[in-house]
Amino acid sequence: MAKLKNIAQDKVPLPPPDAKVFTTCCDYCVVGCGYKVYRWPVGTEGGPKASENALGADYPVAPSSGKWVSPNMHNVVLVDGKQHHVIVIPDADAKVVNVGGTHSIRGGCIAQKCYNPNKPTRDRLQYPQLRVGDKLQRVSWDDAIEIMAAVSKHVLANYGENAWAQKMYSYQYFENTYALTKLAFRHIETLAFAFHDNPSNAEDTPAWRDMGFDNFPAAYEDYSLADTLFLSGTDPYETKTVIFQSWIMKGVEERGTKLIYVLPRKTTGVAFAESRGGLHLDLIPGTDTVLHMAIIRVILENGWEDKEWIEKFTATKWEQDSGFGRGIRDTGWQWRTTWGKLQGNDFGQYREWLLSQEESKLEVAERITGVAKEKFVRAAEMMAKPRADGTRIKTMLAMEKGNYWSNNYLNTASIGMLAVCCGAGNRPGQMLTRMGGHQRGGIQGGLYNIAKSPEKYPGRRRKPLDLDRWVEAGHVRYAYVVGTTWTTAMTGSQALASTLEKLTRGNPHQPTSTDKDAAIETLKKRVDSGGMMLVDQDIYLRHPIGAVIADIVLPAATWGEVDFARANGERRLRLYSKFYDPPGEAKPDWEIVAMFGKAMGFEGFDWKESNDVFEEAARFTRGSRKDYFPLVWLAKNKGIKAHDLLRAYGTHGIQAPIRYQDGELIGTKRLHDATVNLPETGPQGPTIHSKIMSAFNTQSGKINIQKSPWDLFSDFFEWQSPRPQDGELWVTNGRVNEIWQSGFDDIERRPYIIQRWPANFLEIHPDDAAARGIESGDELRVYSDRVPVQVSGFQGVRGAGKLDGDFSFTTLMKNGHIKLEKASVSAVAIVTPAVKKGVSFMFNLHTKNPANSLAPRVPDPLSDNYRYKLGVGKVEKVGESPYKHSFEQMSFGRRDLV
Amino acid sequence: NKSDDGDGEGQQALVAGYARKKIATLGELQTDEPAPIFYPYDNTDLNSLGFIVKLGTPAGGGVGPASDIVAFSSLCTHVGGDLSNTKKTYMKEHKILGPCPLHLTTFDLTRHGMVVAGHATESLPQIVLEVDGDDVYATGVLGLIYGKRDNADLPIVI
Repeated sequence: MAKLKNIAQDKVPLPPPDAKVFTTCCDYCVVGCGYKVYRWPVGTEGGPKASENALGADYPVAPSSGKWVSPNMHNVVLVDGKQHHVIVIPDADAKVVNVGGTHSIRGGCIAQKCYNPNKPTRDRLQYPQLRVGDKLQRVSWDDAIEIMAAVSKHVLANYGENAWAQKMYSYQYFENTYALTKLAFRHIETLAFAFHDNPSNAEDTPAWRDMGFDNFPAAYEDYSLADTLFLSGTDPYETKTVIFQSWIMKGVEERGTKLIYVLPRKTTGVAFAESRGGLHLDLIPGTDTVLHMAIIRVILENGWEDKEWIEKFTATKWEQDSGFGRGIRDTGWQWRTTWGKLQGNDFGQYREWLLSQEESKLEVAERITGVAKEKFVRAAEMMAKPRADGTRIKTMLAMEKGNYWSNNYLNTASIGMLAVCCGAGNRPGQMLTRMGGHQRGGIQGGLYNIAKSPEKYPGRRRKPLDLDRWVEAGHVRYAYVVGTTWTTAMTGSQALASTLEKLTRGNPHQPTSTDKDAAIETLKKRVDSGGMMLVDQDIYLRHPIGAVIADIVLPAATWGEVDFARANGERRLRLYSKFYDPPGEAKPDWEIVAMFGKAMGFEGFDWKESNDVFEEAARFTRGSRKDYFPLVWLAKNKGIKAHDLLRAYGTHGIQAPIRYQDGELIGTKRLHDATVNLPETGPQGPTIHSKIMSAFNTQSGKINIQKSPWDLFSDFFEWQSPRPQDGELWVTNGRVNEIWQSGFDDIERRPYIIQRWPANFLEIHPDDAAARGIESGDELRVYSDRVPVQVSGFQGVRGAGKLDGDFSFTTLMKNGHIKLEKASVSAVAIVTPAVKKGVSFMFNLHTKNPANSLAPRVPDPLSDNYRYKLGVGKVEKVGESPYKHSFEQMSFGRRDLV
Repeated sequence: NKSDDGDGEGQQALVAGYARKKIATLGELQTDEPAPIFYPYDNTDLNSLGFIVKLGTPAGGGVGPASDIVAFSSLCTHVGGDLSNTKKTYMKEHKILGPCPLHLTTFDLTRHGMVVAGHATESLPQIVLEVDGDDVYATGVLGLIYGKRDNADLPIVI
């Protein structure tokens, strides 16, 4: 595609006083900033005086007014077929999240997301299509759904439910995730299911689950209340931008919060931290466990742990085992069948264990992590050393994908124990939390019946089925893909794409006309011959999943086109208002599911509007972090729609779990809150006072102690580490402020963003660049001929909990379950000392050059999460990129300047 | 058009109705020493505050014998942070303006004020320059200046 020109506008229309106003939130990152939409018909315009415009402001407006409309906040949309202006602007009246109307570059440009036939969003999918030969041709909704249902019935009848796979996003609104999982789990009953960022239906941070920590217990305000903030595997300046702007910077400026960053590269947030007395722990990717253990050793050797808190809030061996004698024996903790390697009896035993671990010794940790050992001491002092008067400092810990997507279980267990040592987890300004990626829009509409999973650990325990490996092994005959690229988003991307292509396009049975019956016949022959039919449902035609692989492509309606609800990273629920028409015949995912469900003969898919799904789904949130059942109950009592009651809360929304008390709804600021006041008279109406509101999520309500033995990971880590003699570097990957989360819209369709990032890039240290003759702006080939891809082997038999057990990397390799694939992507070089020597960095999800291609497709056997951040490859110059000498596109300026 | 480097993919200006105004003299511009200017209006208009700088390296839209003289608005296009204290905000070794004192956004002055890292939804508005003899004239603005709804709107008089 030719690059789009950015045309700098020097004026913008203002909404007239009678413009319609809608509340919504940004569609992108987890922070979930509040926005207002002003809409009015084309042909009129407001004036610069406060009385002449709907924003009530005199122009020019003052800095930080929240009232400036940048040209990228304006678009033209269709409402009932008529052109209307829209301004999508951060809510200047916001008292929460983006206080005063601040915003990120992504949210600030979100008006450009709207479908506009005169703008680059013109290529939105509008009609159902069937692939005939090489071309996608339009078909009716009825025909598309009938073909899907007929082939699905054939597959279920002849090959069983696990031959019918579903791959979907986990986050894109309650109504859609509920409908989609209701279909897959309650009706199809498939186990061949995975969300967008995982090979199986795995938990993100099972170690926290085992210990009793929720993933999202904190309030954004907590970031401004800590004395020391430990930020692991993410720079929130880049990826949680408004948490950084509104809350972290507030703490730094008002109370002198010190920031500790754990990242292999220096970004703006890290540079800011260092300039304000903070610390950068510049580790080698994947070594967080050792880093945590070294800091804990310093804390324990000095007696700096929060003894009083540990006594009160951690479980003893007997408390772990409380509760009708079930104890830990029937929990995921034991299901991981490491036979005592992970669970600690109590903190005293943990101390002995930690101090006996070779990797926790500072010299050893320095060698493994690449972090100077003095920094472990400094970090321990900043986090846990009591002040001269004996008072403790408030430490908060927050982490994200650099941490749990490199060595999932052990990294999260060990950061959990670091939090325990600091007394963090259940008090204002002293929390342990994920920072989040996408917003929290998932509600599970049925049970994933793990007891029937074909995949199992050695011993008796079942594992959630690894869908990528299941497809690779030829067990899937029908795949329904919703709102994810699947291949690009998974590790070993190129290998997975080849498999999917082989099963679909590589099969001789291809529809030759749009005749429905003929297509059904052909596709049945396809699946009977070992091939697969694939349906892709999305807002754009993605390459390769839609453009090359799919047999049917369905157009989805999205943000702004339907009323939806969702929670953000502090569990704040808001209504995302519909304010314009979806393009063509695009429909929301829940409605497409309803059509398919009915065609399959399933009951319970009679929803008329989005609110019907929202109300039905509420029951499935009861007692959980997202419990909004009391809101639906109160709306029914008031005789109004639950969506409308939520709409009345505007951009402020309400934090779940929601309680009902004396005629009002009350939100929950933070979870595990030892300081919370719940009424002594007990819960009212439909309210549930769940344990997570006031205690940790274990049998005893106290933290279960968890060990993190490095040897469960070290064989893989040593094999995967770059081999300098072969010229290899770490090719780790991550997000960039300007294109994170919005990439699915803006990398191809937002001229302002495209001029900044017209191609994927690779940051490389000057020494590594010089050794390869590379300069900023050079076009690079980044490749590997040893991307490990795990294949087959669904039944673990031998060696539960032993290092040479069936799921250890050494054994997988020995038994032929690791195949080595080749991968190659292109990138433009950015030479910068901001990235650690021996480590290079790419944007993770570029549509054409996904860095995930170089990441190992060998999930962490304890958690089934991919180790996305541990890509390795060779880097060589192929020539100069067109951007090397251009003033128009791409900047090679450093990103670590403050 | 100086803003197009010939690859056909450059920025285009929608410029109309701007006054041609002398803002500097070539001989007085020293490399890496930014000087304040006011454009499109005068010093009665806070939103007209900008700066001119000789970067010492060729730049998009640069004028002068070395194509290295550029001028920009001094208001951050994120929420209007004041970037005019160039002793702090002009990073001469990087040819970058920033970080903004409010939220740390940085702008690449060699690339039409493109965001390097940060939150602004527009590049830093670039003042279009022309050279006539020893005189440097401003003739237009690429992009909407923070606070305004139209660069041509009259200033609020202070």
